[in-house]
Amino acid sequence: MGIKKNNDINLSVNLSVNLGKVSLINPLITASGTCGYVDELDDFLDINQLGAFITKSITIKPRLGNDVPRIVETDSGMLNAIGLANIGVEKFIQEKVPMMERYKTPFFVNIAGQTIDEYLAVADKLSQCRRIAGLELNISCPNVKQGGITFGTDPALVRQITTEVKKVVRDKILVVKLTPSVTDISAIARAAVECGADALSLVNTFTAMVIDIETQKPVLANRTGGLSGPAIKPIAVYLVNKVYNEVAKPAGVPIIGGGGIRTASDAIEFIIAGATAVTIGTGGFINPDCAVKIIQGIKDYLRRQNITAVAELIGSLK
Amino acid sequence: MTDSPPKKGVFNATVLMNRSLGDKFCRLTLELEKKANIPFSHASAGQFIEIDISKLALPAEKLIPQHLSDSAQRDIILRRPFSFADIDCNNDTTVVEILYCVLGPATLRMKTLKIGDSVNFIGPLGNGFKIPENRKLALLVAGGMGAPPLIHLAKVLKKQCPDTELIAFVGAKALAGLAFFDIETSKLKKETDIALGEFSRLNIKTFISTDDGSAGVKGFVSESFKNWLTKNKPDDKDTIVYACGPEAMLSATAAISSQFKLPCQVSLERRMACGTGLCQSCAVKCRDKANGNTIYKLCCKDGPVFWSDEVVWE
Ligand SMILES: Cc1cc2nc3c(=O)[nH]c(=O)nc-3n(C[C@H](O)[C@H](O)[C@H](O)COP(=O)(O)OP(=O)(O)OC[C@H]3O[C@@H](n4cnc5c(N)ncnc54)[C@H](O)[C@@H]3O)c2cc1C
Ligand SMILES: Cc1cc2nc3c(=O)[nH]c(=O)nc-3n(C[C@H](O)[C@H](O)[C@H](O)COP(=O)(O)O)c2cc1C
Ligand code: FES
Repeated sequence: MGIKKNNDINLSVNLSVNLGKVSLINPLITASGTCGYVDELDDFLDINQLGAFITKSITIKPRLGNDVPRIVETDSGMLNAIGLANIGVEKFIQEKVPMMERYKTPFFVNIAGQTIDEYLAVADKLSQCRRIAGLELNISCPNVKQGGITFGTDPALVRQITTEVKKVVRDKILVVKLTPSVTDISAIARAAVECGADALSLVNTFTAMVIDIETQKPVLANRTGGLSGPAIKPIAVYLVNKVYNEVAKPAGVPIIGGGGIRTASDAIEFIIAGATAVTIGTGGFINPDCAVKIIQGIKDYLRRQNITAVAELIGSLK
Repeated sequence: MTDSPPKKGVFNATVLMNRSLGDKFCRLTLELEKKANIPFSHASAGQFIEIDISKLALPAEKLIPQHLSDSAQRDIILRRPFSFADIDCNNDTTVVEILYCVLGPATLRMKTLKIGDSVNFIGPLGNGFKIPENRKLALLVAGGMGAPPLIHLAKVLKKQCPDTELIAFVGAKALAGLAFFDIETSKLKKETDIALGEFSRLNIKTFISTDDGSAGVKGFVSESFKNWLTKNKPDDKDTIVYACGPEAMLSATAAISSQFKLPCQVSLERRMACGTGLCQSCAVKCRDKANGNTIYKLCCKDGPVFWSDEVVWE
């Protein structure tokens, strides 16, 4: 790809990208657990301007979540241990899925569970909803006692869960969301891709702890939490690039990249590293409308670089 | 997409004043940009805003209190929640008052805001105090930093319910902790019913208590509230209680109110990441009135004001 440096403010740029057979008008996606179920962002931005929307993790039964404190701020980041608090799949399908009709945006539903059967039951119910474009398999939540991250750290379990869920998702896209808290993330990514993952999502939060030195106790009721925000961005960029080179590119599977994105240049770094689409999580708490500003920033960058399509930028790291 | 005008949003404001009240407290007066006028003309006492403090500098080193010199070095990324102490919507101009206590890296940075500076915030957020009709008596119970939303509520009640009598119970650790009420604390006399600036201007009878007895009676504000109820036995159908302050004080106030069968609304605080119902970090354990089950509500979205009998106090 020949990148010419030549400002052309009138250059028409194409921001669309494809996640398998789902096409997005641009690469910006809301990260699971940071943007609600469907319409919670309405007062801040037009959801139709987003490439896609990923919901909060949904489980088979409603979950109350952990005791408080559930979050604590750190330098350039935050820890959370929400504990997958959610309304459960029945209520989600009854109350939230119909709301999706109001938008043109593709919706991906993030699913979680404590056993493979729970994942399967949720996936099966959601796969019957016409409006849902795909499922994001959360095998990487650090904040629940069983399941979650233990699935995501064992390649054999990742194979099993991906294979089984793939059988029930029918025509939906299956995204597998990886935890960064492993020795070799590519081994996990490979397991998911070989068993039918249509896309990979990385990274989830890093397991971490903050201690209150006055009480000598952890600040979070759950003791540990997941680190997100700008603090994790350079590690996330590195991991996206590693998985892109070692697994995703050879297999032709797209990556949804994220971790600490706040600005257009952050998002562009992820795309250059190999991400087809990017997620905004913690950055949206700081500026609820930052996704919209990032879309504009990517356009400006492409014009400045004289690149006509964002797709050309994916994995362009030299 | 909804067609109704947004109820909340991200806005800018200009600092009109940022003045110290004693050594730990400050009053920040903000004029909001015009497009915030409509959402804020409907805002109620007890709602709050989330201020972006991440771009503010620290005060000069010699102005940083010794006990904060270490934690002051921490960076801020998350916005911080603050209640309104007043909202004034007049001729197309909205002026909001914030009373804040300097506790850590964010509130320390806020002290450097100067007249004319720009502040970015999200709001108005949450649900404020509900004002039921036909209450002859409203009892305000404020502990420590809990004063700001009750100062706002008192002003609103005076305007909306001129026939309702207001009585305030105000507590703090010590005399200096009463500075939110705009008083010359050095001039405060040791009497039980001296008026505090903010409340005396509104003619609200006020009972003060401090943990160390340095102003008003010695003891907790919940005790002085209870003593008053025991003596005066207000009619439960005519009376309502509003409380804001530390959780232990709210829990005591809730228990006393229920003992006297008085309806009571409390304003709670939680650590918040988003303030807008997105992250579920601000959970408040509640009882589902329909079936008695334990549920979590969100402080930022369902609250911060709750009926005291729906909260599970621990
Ligand atoms: C709905 C709501 C309304 C509020 N209104 C006001 C107001 O009108 N005026 C005002 O001064 N403050 C108010 N606060 C509290 C204010 O947001 C915090 O004091 C502020 O965020 C502290 O930030 P910091 O970085 O200076 O200190 P930090 O370092 O974050 O905190 C300093 C100390 O305060 C404690 N703390 C911080 N936040 C909270 C909290 N939410 N609940 C309990 N303890 C906490 C910390 O544990 C620490 O010990 C409100 C909070 C909420 C949730
Ligand atoms: C408060 C909070 C809640 C989250 N909840 C979920 C969740 O339910 N499921 C999930 O897969 N990821 C969850 N995440 C992880 C995010 O989707 C994202 O992967 C991570 O925060 C890194 O991105 P960021 O730095 O942009 O926030 C959560 C993150 C935060 C901060
Ligand atoms: S602070 Fe995020 S949901 Fe309340």
